[in-house]
Amino acid sequence: MDIISEIAQDFMGLFQAGGDTFVSWVTGIIPMVICLMTAINSIIKLIGEERVERVTRKATGNIITRYTIVPVLAVLFLGNPMCYTFGRFVEEKYKPAYYDSCVSFLHPVTGLFPHANAGELFVYMGIATGITTLGLSLGDLAIRYFIVGLIVILIRGVCTEKIYLYMVSKYKGTQSEEVAENV
Amino acid sequence: MYKSVKVNHGSGGWGGPLVLTPNEKTNKVLSVTGGGIHPIAALIAEMTGAEALDGFKTNAPDDEILVAVVDCGGTARCGVYPKKGIFTINLTPVGQAGPLAQYITEELYVSDVKESCISYSDEEASSPASATKAETPKAGAPKTKEQARKELSDMNTGKKPGIVTRIGIGVGKVVNKFFQAGRETIDMVIKNVLPFMAFTSTLLGIISASGLGDMIANTISPIASTLPGMLVISFICALPFLSPILGPGAVIAQVVGTLLGVEIGLGNIPAAYALPALFAINAQVGGDFVPVGLSLGEAEPETIELGVPAVLYSRVITGPLSVVIAFIFSIGMY
Repeated sequence: MDIISEIAQDFMGLFQAGGDTFVSWVTGIIPMVICLMTAINSIIKLIGEERVERVTRKATGNIITRYTIVPVLAVLFLGNPMCYTFGRFVEEKYKPAYYDSCVSFLHPVTGLFPHANAGELFVYMGIATGITTLGLSLGDLAIRYFIVGLIVILIRGVCTEKIYLYMVSKYKGTQSEEVAENV
Repeated sequence: MYKSVKVNHGSGGWGGPLVLTPNEKTNKVLSVTGGGIHPIAALIAEMTGAEALDGFKTNAPDDEILVAVVDCGGTARCGVYPKKGIFTINLTPVGQAGPLAQYITEELYVSDVKESCISYSDEEASSPASATKAETPKAGAPKTKEQARKELSDMNTGKKPGIVTRIGIGVGKVVNKFFQAGRETIDMVIKNVLPFMAFTSTLLGIISASGLGDMIANTISPIASTLPGMLVISFICALPFLSPILGPGAVIAQVVGTLLGVEIGLGNIPAAYALPALFAINAQVGGDFVPVGLSLGEAEPETIELGVPAVLYSRVITGPLSVVIAFIFSIGMY
């Protein structure tokens, strides 16, 4: 009997540990996230999507702003997954690169603006709880994550753009060869 | 030559039944599942006489898609097609979930679909009605909205409201937006954040209480606490044949992130390594979503065809590179 009750005790212990973690997250993370998300969602509604679209259209022409300003505005104002729709303002040949740059910003943004991708918060939050456990402040990590994210999406955008254009030129090359052979 | 089929939801599923009736224009079954055309998509194509397409290799204009077959765990893909008014079959048992949950309706969406759920439709007569059903709101909704707006502005030009009324209306508008924002936030927390917390904390509890945690600490921590180790992790995550598998819902990145967070909290991984680690575990981000993301950006099918490999190849370079940049930026932190 003792053995059985001990097994039951251990079994419940597995979930007691999980429950403790759950409560610490719900009380520690959720209240701040809710207030922050509500505030930012309100600001977005007040500014309105049309105004953001106007700025975005202008920013698509330049290679630097195309992979910084456009994805950042799209992610901040539309969130995951509607941010990709801003791809329609970008020239056809830059669309894959825009997608890459946009999707790569969906996690760096969550440190400062969790509303943009609340469903995938734990890529950042998971690691951030470790920092909190150590008693360190999160501001430093969040802001650096944001800045590095910005640099990375620019590099990714440019890199993917070059690879895509290279692939297109090669693809077109082989196609015309085939045509030539057929003739 | 085209036949209608009826698709019911499976035992754990939701939505439907959908009646799919292809015609000369709308005759593509889009399989957005990764790893080629899913057998369910192939079966529907065979039964209806429509054409099955692999959404990862090619794409079709929205008005040619008869039905989209997805295997979404409830984050994004399951809502994208219903939002566009396209019939959607989800192979996983997911109901109205994700950020686009409001667009997932019983008329457009059915989940947990198995082969046994698909049958020829008995009533051929009812099928045209349901096929047009998907299109009517598409055409009808914006028109009525415009009309309503016009009516409203007509009404407003007729009379000049006093200053008090105008302030009242203005405040009301702002307050309403705040309230709406609050409701969206709570919705998001309940539908996405809390379920993930429940799942992860249960997993973490089992790992830490059962002693598995020590094993992980002994294997992952040494790798994740050196720069070369993290470069290897990011390189593996970015491999073009692995990244689409690791991507969905960022679930793997989230679980690994949480495990690393525990190790950082215990002091097994230096705190400054949090920043490069964030990039190392996430080189695959969105690798599963390229075709859907591109079609949301209204890209042509040809662009998607070459765009998917372009993004995946680029990650092999930019994945490890991002770790190096993050490593440089982590100097002086904590």
